[in-house]
Amino acid sequence: MKLHRWRNRLFALLFSRFPGLTRRWLKRQRLHDYGPPPWVPLPKPLSACTIALVTTAGVHRRGDEPFDMADKEGDPSYRVIPRHTPRDRLRITHDYYDHRDADMDVNIVLPLDRLQELADDQLIGEVAPCHYSFMGHIDGRHVPRLLTETAPEVARRLRREGVDAVVLTPA
Amino acid sequence: MGLVAREIERQGIATVSLSIQRELTEKTRPPRALFLRWPYGHPLGEPFKVAQQRWVLWDALQALVTVRAPGTILDLPYPWRKPGPWEGGGELRGKSEKLKA
Repeated sequence: MKLHRWRNRLFALLFSRFPGLTRRWLKRQRLHDYGPPPWVPLPKPLSACTIALVTTAGVHRRGDEPFDMADKEGDPSYRVIPRHTPRDRLRITHDYYDHRDADMDVNIVLPLDRLQELADDQLIGEVAPCHYSFMGHIDGRHVPRLLTETAPEVARRLRREGVDAVVLTPA
Repeated sequence: MGLVAREIERQGIATVSLSIQRELTEKTRPPRALFLRWPYGHPLGEPFKVAQQRWVLWDALQALVTVRAPGTILDLPYPWRKPGPWEGGGELRGKSEKLKA
């Protein structure tokens, strides 16, 4: 493995251990003001809703192309995770957080099994056919690509798949 | 992640986001968010703690119903690696009254 990946992982361990470091880093970042959030109400009771998950934890199926860890500005692409993917076929490519616990139990970043249980208990209507995963570390030139290409594409797919609401989980 | 939530909501699907980095959530302003003071990589808690994970997921889904003001960030009161309301089999149905926006 290349040296810069080890360096990123070392920083990820440090930042996980000392969250104050990230807060200080964030304060120095001048983030664009995206304005007031868009808003749509939930269209029906939760017990009738089809729910999808979208994560930025870098989860993907084994055999799918891993997220690009060489590009310093990250990777704005996404991966599709069909609902019945066996959990041992999932893996995480993301050097910017410590995912040893999530490697053991993916539900702490992508709660597919928990969502299915809520559907079995009829607390929600249905689990969506597909869930989506990004790699959360996106910067520089890749932010416009996320905003104009990949995020709108995922939103369109969710609409086509009849999704009523989405739970987003970070890493 | 807030930016992805905004785009999905903009296209007409309601979203709720978990957050473990409050400052970033305040800046990207997703429509609805719940903040947990938990370590990175653990938005739903600890591995194999099924009741805890389910509790937090249900908190998030409830926020879709209870939150009325765009940009609301709810602070969840659960300390890391401490017993929580999910212990003892935590019944989810009916717990929604406890979490008000």
